[in-house]
Amino acid sequence: MRGDDRLTRGRGRYTADLHVDGCLEAAFVRSPVPHADLLGIDTTAARDMPGVAAVLTADDLTDVGDVPTMFGTDDSPPWRPLAADRVRHEGEAVAMVVADDRYRAEDAAAAVRLDLRRRPGHAAPGRAGRTDRLYPDHDDLALEKEFGPPVADATWTNAHIVIDSRYRQQLLAPTSLEARAILVEPGALLTVHCSHQYPHGLRTGIAGAFGLAEDDVRVIVPDAGGAFGSKSPTYPEYLAVVAAARRLQRPVRWIEDRTEALTSASRGRGQDQHVRLAADADGRILAIDLQVDADIGAHPLGAALPGQTALAASEAYAVGEVHATFRSWFTTTAPTYAYRGAGRPEAAYAVERAVDELAAALHLDPAELRRRNFVREFPYDTPTGRRYDSGDYAACLDRCLELLEPDRWRGARERPTGVGIACYVERSGGEPGILEEYGSVTVDPSGFTARVGTSSTGQPHHTVFAQLVADRLGVPADTVDLVEGDTGEVPEGHGTFASRSTQMGGAALAGAADALVDEARAQAADRWGLTADDVAWDKGVLRAGTRELPVAELAPLHAEHRFTSPPAFPYGSYGAVVEIDPELGAVHLLRLVAVDDYGTVLDHTATHGQTLGSIAQGLGQVLIEGVVLDDEGATVMPDGLLDYLLPTAAEMPRDLRVDETAVPAPDNPLGVKGAGEAGCIGVPPAVVNAVADAIRPLGGDPARLRMPLTPQVVWEALGGERSDGEGRG
Amino acid sequence: MELDVNGARHEVTAEPRRALADVLRDDLGLTGTHLGCEHGVCGTCTVLLDGEPVRSCLVLAVQAVGHEVRTVEGLAEDDPLPGAFAEHHALQCGFCTPGFLMLLRGALDEDPTVVDDDGRLDALLASNLCRCTGYEGIRNAAKVAAPREH
Ligand code: FES
Ligand code: FES
Repeated sequence: MRGDDRLTRGRGRYTADLHVDGCLEAAFVRSPVPHADLLGIDTTAARDMPGVAAVLTADDLTDVGDVPTMFGTDDSPPWRPLAADRVRHEGEAVAMVVADDRYRAEDAAAAVRLDLRRRPGHAAPGRAGRTDRLYPDHDDLALEKEFGPPVADATWTNAHIVIDSRYRQQLLAPTSLEARAILVEPGALLTVHCSHQYPHGLRTGIAGAFGLAEDDVRVIVPDAGGAFGSKSPTYPEYLAVVAAARRLQRPVRWIEDRTEALTSASRGRGQDQHVRLAADADGRILAIDLQVDADIGAHPLGAALPGQTALAASEAYAVGEVHATFRSWFTTTAPTYAYRGAGRPEAAYAVERAVDELAAALHLDPAELRRRNFVREFPYDTPTGRRYDSGDYAACLDRCLELLEPDRWRGARERPTGVGIACYVERSGGEPGILEEYGSVTVDPSGFTARVGTSSTGQPHHTVFAQLVADRLGVPADTVDLVEGDTGEVPEGHGTFASRSTQMGGAALAGAADALVDEARAQAADRWGLTADDVAWDKGVLRAGTRELPVAELAPLHAEHRFTSPPAFPYGSYGAVVEIDPELGAVHLLRLVAVDDYGTVLDHTATHGQTLGSIAQGLGQVLIEGVVLDDEGATVMPDGLLDYLLPTAAEMPRDLRVDETAVPAPDNPLGVKGAGEAGCIGVPPAVVNAVADAIRPLGGDPARLRMPLTPQVVWEALGGERSDGEGRG
Repeated sequence: MELDVNGARHEVTAEPRRALADVLRDDLGLTGTHLGCEHGVCGTCTVLLDGEPVRSCLVLAVQAVGHEVRTVEGLAEDDPLPGAFAEHHALQCGFCTPGFLMLLRGALDEDPTVVDDDGRLDALLASNLCRCTGYEGIRNAAKVAAPREH
């Protein structure tokens, strides 16, 4: 991929690598407790320490606006860049030290004294056990919404069977290996270098908080070391760094350390789920009811995100009655926000676990039960308000089963073995408001420059988009440069998340390339006294009869396109084979199958990389990852990444079978659907379903399975006595 | 102190508490060595100390005095690992890449047969973390970059 030669030679330029003369380094003083009144901050000692340029607290930032929420509520309580009066989650920033060196900044941060009076904390969603509101003027129920008409009472009473299950989506730490990073250079043009998914959104957030015109702020995304959904907001720390740079008139950088990332940065998932299915004796699903209680943390950064779960409650099934609700609860924890999948893995898990329980209860083959319920006509309007665009869900499942070979494993091994499948439908491209993207193509004497409003944090946009534009123009890919991730170069954009980049940005670039061809033909026609229809575009050369003109001679030539469309609905079928060690509860993955349909695929290497990466993260959620908190919301992970485990090469199954089907997206000129999040969605329910399949014959109780499937959890589901009090996740 | 890095000697003045990674990055400008956790788990900061992979966030710069340090910038022009990583899509964001390259350079120099056994290779690669790739490309690149005759 383009750029790999730099990155494999140590010539990447991540935010921490940028050299800016006179740059100061920032360190934050953070709340050590989940909930407390902040009675005082003593910065005297810190200010006098060597190298310290400034120590800022909330009192110094009164002229800075509130932190913008991304998917907040209509009346979100004010969120200050540095907490004033009260801290509402462990790790909330209360002061910032700026010094000439990071060691000295951290020394001084450690010397800041906080006077705190503890308040009770609440890590769990729901009303139970609450004695203290987070906000005096706001209920702890931050947001509540309902999708689809309620299921009729008669449907439940007349059903042959009702499955009633509760699941927990544990909190996950996104953990891009590069944590958050920002470097701000003050001046008439405020220049912000930031590892970010949404530079134009960050520009808007900063301009808004400081009363600046958007043109007075330039956001540049250098090389970025992963994001996975977590790097799209305007975080409070970013506003504090901007404030310091403006006040000191010096460049200031903040590089988040891993401890901060694990205790104070946003997390993903975080839902208590209650799902009910009604079905007839043949396994036809009559109704789905999904209730989500989400722990959204202390600030409503992602309060509305559980709506993604509720909207997806139909999953792949044509079910007449589907009703979904979510309630987002303030909790004294770091904000819950987008993490790869952002609401869709949660929905797929709830529905696909329950569908498997239904199959088990009816003694039906889980694949056959799914087939009987699949949506088969498109477009399909779900009761919760989605319009599925296209697909062949049964063909995708069939391919998955071919690769999984479910029958091969039964009784074939000594240890208990289980086979599980899961199907999902997800939404890609985003929601109204970001279902548009900007692309342009410019010709100058040296070649073509494509600009697009997406922003790579590790995705190979430079390869895929340059190739796309080159193919559209019929020119060699190495004559096309791609520019993105710089608001000074790209006038507008919506960044990279929601699996939207190729679907939206790719389509915008294709439209811009087409517009460029039209413009070039029109200009050549003018020169030659012809009409555009008489002029042909031939691989970068304009021709009419014997006349020809290389497009470079028309330079500078520029064309733009703004693409809008409804969202797309990728889907997939996943399968897992597991072996259980009944003594220890350990789960061994013998085979994992992923068959995804991303519509038309432009670059299989790129989608394969996305599939594998998201599979690894899905395995993380189902097997090992989970933020451990005590009941009040304090993290219980003293040893960092030794406590919050990420998948290593040893966790990746050797027998991993990945394939794609390709039903084109009807609303996209390239036929493309999004491809970034599939494995996070498909893997967890497939693996848990396989473990459930393995433990049922042993008398185990699948209802006791919860993620992550640690040996302890599986052992307990097999009937082992719970021995210790684990924290909640 | 005097540090021997990538075959060159560097005179550095640094506090004794400074980690080798910070001195490499801040004092010598060798920013190819990345910091992903600063507590010894992720391996993005892996460099070679006398040929052995070490985590430069856990080594003090003063401890490296008298030893040969090699960073990603010091890989030979004809080292097959960087090309194999690019060829086999062993990277996406690239943040973990220098650490894996140095881990593998050290391991292959020590015993190239480590790639012949899936279990041994995974145990080796499990020393470091990658959040993007799912490791398949890294495994493949390691195999391709190992010397053919061993
Ligand atoms: S930065 Fe050294 S091991 Fe993570
Ligand atoms: S390529 Fe991003 S962490 Fe490995």
